[in-house]
Amino acid sequence: MIKKIALAAVTLALVGVAADAQTTTPRKGGTLRMTAPYGTSLSSLDIHTTPRAQDGIVAKLIHRSLYKWDTAANKPVVELATSVTVSNGGLTHTYKLRDDAVFHNGRKMTADDIIFSYTRIMDGSKGYPGARWIRNIKGAVDVEKNQAKEISGLRKIDDGTLEITLNEKIEPGFALMADTTSILAKENIESGNITSNPVGLGPFKFKEHLPGSRLVAERWDKFYKPGQPYLDRVFVLVMGEASARDVAFRNNEIDLSILGPAQYLAYKNDPDLQKGVFEVAEVFTRNMGMNPAHKPFADKRVRQAINHAIDTDLVVKRLSKEKAYRATSWLPLTSPAYDKALKPYAYDPEKAKKLLAEAGYPNGFEFEWMTSQNESWGLPIVEGVLPMLDKVGIKAKVRLVEAAVLTEVIPKGDYQAYLWSNATGPDPLAALKCYHSQTPRTACNYVGFNNTDYDKLVDAAGAADDPAKRLDLMKQANAMLYEEAPVWFFNYNKAVMAYQPWVHGLQPNATELTHQYGEDLWVDEKSPVAK
Amino acid sequence: MRLRVNLVMGGALFALAVGAAVLAPLIATHHPFLDANLMNSELPPGSEYLLGTDKQGRDIYSRIVWGAQISLMVGVVSQLINTVIGTMLGLTGGYWGGKWDDFVSGLTNLMLSIPSLIFALAIIAVLGRGLMSLLIALGLTNWSFTCRIARASALSLKSQGYVQAAKTLGYSDMRIMLTQLLPNMVGPIIVIGTLGMGGAILAEAALSFLGLGVQPPWPSWGSMLSDARDAIITGQVWIPLFPGLAIFFTVLGLNLLGDGLRDVLDPQSKVRSA
Amino acid sequence: MLLLTLRRLAQMIPTVAAVVLTIFVLFSVVPGSIASSMFDDGRGMDPQVMERKRKELGLDKPIHQRFVDYVGKLATGDLGRSFKYDVPVTQVLADRMGPSLKLTLAAMAFAIVIGIPLGFFAALKPGSLGDFGTMVAAVSGLSLPKFWLGLMLAYLFALQLKWLPSFGYGDGGLRYLILPAVTLGVSPMALFARTTRAAVLEIMNADFVRTARSKGMGEVRVVSWHVARNVLVLVLTAVGLQFGALLSQAVVVEQVFSWPGLGSLLISSINDRDIPAVQGCILVIVLFFLAINAAVDVAYSLIDPRIRYG
Repeated sequence: MIKKIALAAVTLALVGVAADAQTTTPRKGGTLRMTAPYGTSLSSLDIHTTPRAQDGIVAKLIHRSLYKWDTAANKPVVELATSVTVSNGGLTHTYKLRDDAVFHNGRKMTADDIIFSYTRIMDGSKGYPGARWIRNIKGAVDVEKNQAKEISGLRKIDDGTLEITLNEKIEPGFALMADTTSILAKENIESGNITSNPVGLGPFKFKEHLPGSRLVAERWDKFYKPGQPYLDRVFVLVMGEASARDVAFRNNEIDLSILGPAQYLAYKNDPDLQKGVFEVAEVFTRNMGMNPAHKPFADKRVRQAINHAIDTDLVVKRLSKEKAYRATSWLPLTSPAYDKALKPYAYDPEKAKKLLAEAGYPNGFEFEWMTSQNESWGLPIVEGVLPMLDKVGIKAKVRLVEAAVLTEVIPKGDYQAYLWSNATGPDPLAALKCYHSQTPRTACNYVGFNNTDYDKLVDAAGAADDPAKRLDLMKQANAMLYEEAPVWFFNYNKAVMAYQPWVHGLQPNATELTHQYGEDLWVDEKSPVAK
Repeated sequence: MRLRVNLVMGGALFALAVGAAVLAPLIATHHPFLDANLMNSELPPGSEYLLGTDKQGRDIYSRIVWGAQISLMVGVVSQLINTVIGTMLGLTGGYWGGKWDDFVSGLTNLMLSIPSLIFALAIIAVLGRGLMSLLIALGLTNWSFTCRIARASALSLKSQGYVQAAKTLGYSDMRIMLTQLLPNMVGPIIVIGTLGMGGAILAEAALSFLGLGVQPPWPSWGSMLSDARDAIITGQVWIPLFPGLAIFFTVLGLNLLGDGLRDVLDPQSKVRSA
Repeated sequence: MLLLTLRRLAQMIPTVAAVVLTIFVLFSVVPGSIASSMFDDGRGMDPQVMERKRKELGLDKPIHQRFVDYVGKLATGDLGRSFKYDVPVTQVLADRMGPSLKLTLAAMAFAIVIGIPLGFFAALKPGSLGDFGTMVAAVSGLSLPKFWLGLMLAYLFALQLKWLPSFGYGDGGLRYLILPAVTLGVSPMALFARTTRAAVLEIMNADFVRTARSKGMGEVRVVSWHVARNVLVLVLTAVGLQFGALLSQAVVVEQVFSWPGLGSLLISSINDRDIPAVQGCILVIVLFFLAINAAVDVAYSLIDPRIRYG
């Protein structure tokens, strides 16, 4: 026994030494200049009201949710609690909460704060986006319908212990890690200050906001991770234009910048810049949805024909500039249920023409393709694909709309075809459930897919207790989607971020690369704003 | 001497643009958007693709030449609409006077109070994108100047002898306006119209740049520039350069032409605004 | 003068009322609801939530009712709440006013300071090479598409020469203002150059100047006093007219340089269908423009007492 311990101790020591030799110690101090690239502004400082990725960037600095996304292991882990025990057949989770989590106004967090935040989110008259996550908790729907004042599935055992009972057996971490379920302080909300001076549990506290321009956050000294955060200050600069970010990055005016396809290529070929390029396969699938209500699209052969008619690899190479992974089916590369053995649709215009003829369209047909101005999954792609469809006789008419219109019109089914990017993770079952016939178009079954065999597979996967069996069933469902081709499978997003050589601590967040947990980031002396 | 230079240079540039637009089907080397091959994307100017290719592998030269059709058509038609509206309102307002004139003046002031691009943006936001909306939006935003000129001319001319004579002869108002008054204000109106066309082409480019102009996949010079924003950074400067030059030279031509015409048709012009 | 100012301000009112009506009518017809602007992460939306939002924002009331509400609120200075930011529109506008004003004034200053002297210089030696060169440059300046110019300038000065920052407002310092202001100011500058030159030439040949010269007044005095004053009147017209164009064109320039002014707010609000913000933006821009015009008119009376408005 002693020998074992000694052996373990020696091994640990060796590993420790080796590790120390490799990693550098994070330096305390300095300013980090991040960019918010998804638009010309932040929506709101009240994180409960906005699900936008843009606002999530700020949320990762100022707020915390019950769970956090473990970027290395690619799964959710509990954050505001030190332990969680599961009981009652997987329906009840009991959390031993942290006692060192302090709000930026100095008050300690207790179970009441979690109950307050979740209850606020279920206020039916307000329509908070986080409701879709909290609805998983038993009794939440009653509050939403105004039939109850409290969520019955939330039970405070004491200030430091909270019991959550769910409606069904799912992993709550996927839902409760969302920024829209952040734990907020009651007094901050009731005083109305939440929209101008938000208070949170995150490593940085809010300092100032110049709308359309930037937000500043400063180190919160009472953050519960000792020694962290390392940075004194973080700037979040709103810069929606990729070319503007590019010039600013080269000028060393910003530290982090999300790259579009054009810049990706330029940076990879630049001997200096290529060292600071961070790539992560994200959990988004870009696709062209085909509405079966438009007659040709109701036939599976037509949909498959389109997948064959488009030289997707070439589009990914030339238009996406390799800043994407060719899509095989619905689930993305990083998904545990992704099947490497499945081969993507081959580029075969002859086969496409044959399939079209078989389906009764030997001379092709017309359709209206709705798209937005997005450079990764918008007009430039449509314009590049147009000639390929034309070659097999399919005439596509382009309809350019604002991104906001897409979000509105598609769930109504008011389209013939669209080009879009949809979240297909991090929970693979949730992504597959989108094609379940019971899922409404307004939720995420945008093409109104309806296939009984598919439904059976997904139901079985949800009920399975054995994780291996679950995985296998999900793979089968994914393969069926490939065969049915409800969409043209375009690509999975490759998020690419350029970072300056003095920036450290970046996390490979597959859910959204711009979402960096602030406490792990630091800059060394080489930064021009290291002081 | 100068006026000849203006007329000649301006006329030549404008004729070049019009020629390109009219002859587009003949002089284009490729189809503006179906003849695209991603394998050939972003090639510099060469023998097969005269001015290079863009991101989708489309021939820039052909797109500029076809784009001339759209850009010029928008410029000409919208300015025509503006001129007709402005002339009619100004002419009738100045000639008839009274309540109608008050209304016209008020309307003109209102239009002058709303910056034109903003008004065009608002109209497009309401009507949705598309060629029709673009023409309507641009056609409704630039008539105030023409109106003022027409009105001022009508006011000063209506007391002239021959006009009075025509009235006593029993000519109808319409006839008087069209045959007596209109010909005398044609000069300044043409000048403003020519200059306005240049403005309309720039406005179309700006709106297309903002994504609110001509709808794809037919090219317009403005939308070609919008597509090309990134190309500068990666050094493919030919992608935004040539459409930009096309706009520049065409508008320059119109401006020179307008100046030249003014020197010829309206040397006493009090309206030295543009 | 006070009377004149008051009268001009009073004359603005019906115009403003008409603008408000026009804008409101225009935008009440906009298709598509706003709710989508609030939930655009492509992850699916709740129809119940959207319906509730519509009711909350009063979008289900008939149009005349909405107009009455709108005007009523306007009277108290309430421009409504932005759909997207969920704060009063006045607050959103207030945040963007500063940068917009800075940009517009800087561009105007640039245009005046460079354009007018250029015009003078050209007019003093008509027909010379300098005159010709200046005028060619001026007409070219009027023919350039602004966003193209902005991109090229950013490329040259920020990327290649690294003299200036390429984007944004930064800390509000002067360095960030230069490229946007120059881009925006080029065409008014060209216009002022041409207008000044034409005005100076016209006046130099005018009778009263010849009379003054024949009376023996020193050349310099003639030029500086009579000419300058009359030129100023004509130039002032141009300046007043240009402000409107400047406010419009600022929209495009703000997009290119990520400048957080009213222009970029207008574009993003249109894209997001944030109607109250769009209405508020347009209203402010128009009011500003009208105010400038009124100010120009008042300034006229100061410069040339012969000009009166009956």
